Amino acid sequence: MNLIIDFLVISGLILGIWLFNAPRKAKFGNLTAAFALFCAFALILYRHDIIGAGTVGISLLLGALAGYVVARTVNMNQIPSMVAIQNGSGGAAAFLVSLVELIRQGGSFGAIAVISGITGLAVGAFTFSGSMIAAAKLSNKMRQAPQVLPGHNYFVMITVWGMLAACVISFHVPPDAAVYLYILQIVLASLLGILFSIRIGGADMPVLISFLNSMTGMAAALCGMVIGNRLLIAFGAVVAASGYILTYLMCKAMNRNLLKVFLPDPPKMRSGVSIRSGSAGTRASGSASTGTRASGSASAGTRAQGKDMTETPASPGLSGVPGQHPSSAMTSQAPKSLGRIEKDKTPGDPFARAAQILAEAQKVIVIPGYGMAIAQAQREVTSLAGELEGMGKDVKYAIHPVAGRMPGHMNVLLAEADVDYDMLVEMDEINPEFSSTGAVLVVGACDVVNPSAIEVEGTPISGMPILMAHEAKNVICCNFDEKPGYSGVENPLYKKSRTLMLPGNAKETVRKLTEALLHAGKGDEDFISPADNGDSWVDNTPAHGDEAIMAGPGNNRLDGTPAHGDEAMVTPAGDGDQGMAGTGADMVGTVANEDGEIDNLGRAVQALAKAKTVTVIPGYGMALAKAQFKLLELASMLSEGGASVKYAIHPVAGRMPGHMNVILAEAEVDYDDLLEMDDANPLFADTDVAMIIGACDVVNPAAIEIEGTPISGMPILMAHEAKQIIVCNFDENPGYSGVPNPIYNNSRTIMLPGDAKATLEEILAAIKGN
Amino acid sequence: MTNLLLMLGFFIVSFLIGYLLISRIPSLLHTPLMSMTNAVSGVTILGALLLFTVPGNGTEKLLGSMAIIAAAFNVVGGFTITDRMLGMFKGKSKKSSAITTQES
Repeated sequence: MNLIIDFLVISGLILGIWLFNAPRKAKFGNLTAAFALFCAFALILYRHDIIGAGTVGISLLLGALAGYVVARTVNMNQIPSMVAIQNGSGGAAAFLVSLVELIRQGGSFGAIAVISGITGLAVGAFTFSGSMIAAAKLSNKMRQAPQVLPGHNYFVMITVWGMLAACVISFHVPPDAAVYLYILQIVLASLLGILFSIRIGGADMPVLISFLNSMTGMAAALCGMVIGNRLLIAFGAVVAASGYILTYLMCKAMNRNLLKVFLPDPPKMRSGVSIRSGSAGTRASGSASTGTRASGSASAGTRAQGKDMTETPASPGLSGVPGQHPSSAMTSQAPKSLGRIEKDKTPGDPFARAAQILAEAQKVIVIPGYGMAIAQAQREVTSLAGELEGMGKDVKYAIHPVAGRMPGHMNVLLAEADVDYDMLVEMDEINPEFSSTGAVLVVGACDVVNPSAIEVEGTPISGMPILMAHEAKNVICCNFDEKPGYSGVENPLYKKSRTLMLPGNAKETVRKLTEALLHAGKGDEDFISPADNGDSWVDNTPAHGDEAIMAGPGNNRLDGTPAHGDEAMVTPAGDGDQGMAGTGADMVGTVANEDGEIDNLGRAVQALAKAKTVTVIPGYGMALAKAQFKLLELASMLSEGGASVKYAIHPVAGRMPGHMNVILAEAEVDYDDLLEMDDANPLFADTDVAMIIGACDVVNPAAIEIEGTPISGMPILMAHEAKQIIVCNFDENPGYSGVPNPIYNNSRTIMLPGDAKATLEEILAAIKGN
Repeated sequence: MTNLLLMLGFFIVSFLIGYLLISRIPSLLHTPLMSMTNAVSGVTILGALLLFTVPGNGTEKLLGSMAIIAAAFNVVGGFTITDRMLGMFKGKSKKSSAITTQES
């Protein structure tokens, strides 16, 4: 009878997995599996009497609550590291259970059960520490590049032999002493997990994460063997199988076998690191050579470079300023952003050419890679794809199985950006289509489109299946640079005559490409109807919104009049939202000359009215002024106008950890809009208005620009990268650190000194005063 | 001994069934799949629970409750995040953006 019930529960799990066959049913499948697990749990409770139900209940509640809250609040970009953390906690649970069982009945167990127990112990501890390292790497808390210690192999060998020895010895000592050997076993296995994980980096991460997944399943199954519980064994085995398949698929897709990924020989071969030498120099050369081909791997350096890129491409554009925007040309304060726009219109410009290619293509295939994930460009990519679809083109995404850092990474990213999953096509299905494709858009992918893999023998990627992008009529490549990817193999695709390179941060380049496409499209009367034009501000069409932003602030600072004509054309007053923009303009027009403060207020209102993306940075000053409710009022008004309002939360803003989150939650701000610093920072460069409310040190660029101040080296919110900054601080005095804040004197900054609540009320009144 | 063989058989059969089923899952859903099986691997919570069916000393209870916390975190967190992830996978009907939900 019990056996039948067990079978029923297990078939529940199997049904859940089976439902993962189709995206539509998967959600139900997940619930089914969860229900199966719940039944198994209930079954244990029914069959056995629990001693110490209080302890059990509290532990259960604590763990479940923590798991739920973390899973609910974690940013979607952090999924890989979150999965790794959960995996690690599964491993921890497995080795703890095995440990207790071994301690309890080590003597009475048969030899095989003890061996399973010790293996469970080792596998669990290994998974735990390995997953934690993986989580740190995936969340960029650790360098993603492989780290090879001097004498890495010796360490690994010593650990493995130590574990074997501990296992053997534990059979020949009394149970009391064996306990210490079990603990030693755990320590050694954890060490092995660390040693194992740190030297896996970059593109090999999907293999590691799948492998660890498989290992937790194994640990659970072994745990079940020790206890003698069928359900544990079955569930564990299914997980082990799943992890095994994913590991195998990832390896196959990268044309590497598991040993090659996990043993240090490949890095030695690929980056010239001599592992045997064991000298300190080994490490240095290892990191240097990995650094050179970091384009594929998410190192901190890549991010820093990305930041630079947002500024560099602007400068050459200034050379050819057509007379289309006379008022813009007059503006001296926003030359960079203007240059970007003008550049797009220059006929010989690569973006214009790329836009033309896209406009002429009937079929466009987008190939996303990890570079897209680093640049957080998925929304830009999908909005470009949306425009192309709107032009009647056949748009698809070609997904290489190992693109990204975990199995199916690109699918998740694109799903997050609302891509229809019917458009995501697997490698084998899409490859025959490339030869009939007009344009391929590569976004941050390198090795997976490297024709060397099939054309050249003897490279690390030879024989790896690739996406046949090179067969397409045209290839547009939005990669950061032309450096080889993780494999270190030069990509001949970049040099092909049919390939158009658009180097730089993908988020920037794709956005500019979309703008260029829309500019080109505007030439054809039938593409954008007048109605479209009118709504464009609300629709967040990048070209128009940006123009308004870029033309707006600079012009107003010179003198109000010429800009208004332009703006009236871009955002005709049609409904309430656009009325806001109008109000902003009026405010400047009418009250600009009265006095400085109101002028600033008018400018702030106008900037807010036109902003598509607003990032609010709250600080302790907001808490003091109790300005959060007014802030939410303003935020909801702005989002009704079509703007996206987010809150960037510095970890030390306020007076206790998470202070700002609590305060904003009190004002019923959706916590999805609360961004952690690391998530918020890459977004500032594309933020139209950064609104600082009672924060000083946490946005002080001196912390990263100037050496030797008390705050030097402190991570800050990069508000100074935003296109426009509004500061609602009480005064211009330095914050707690005493370091003057250069952001106050930035030409893009609008200062609104005074009590933050009063200031926000004034802004609200000005917007409503329409 | 027969018991052990039986358990081994259980393991192998489950592994095979899992293998056959999972091989058919599209790569589109690999991340949610991994996340879900990850949650399932928190099944050690059963083992942790069984530790409390026999009287134990303080250390054992401490280790046991730690195991329960870790496993519960894994199970609940895993299924929740999978659910969230799957919620993002949208078919033909595009979902409205987060901006509108915030206004309420």
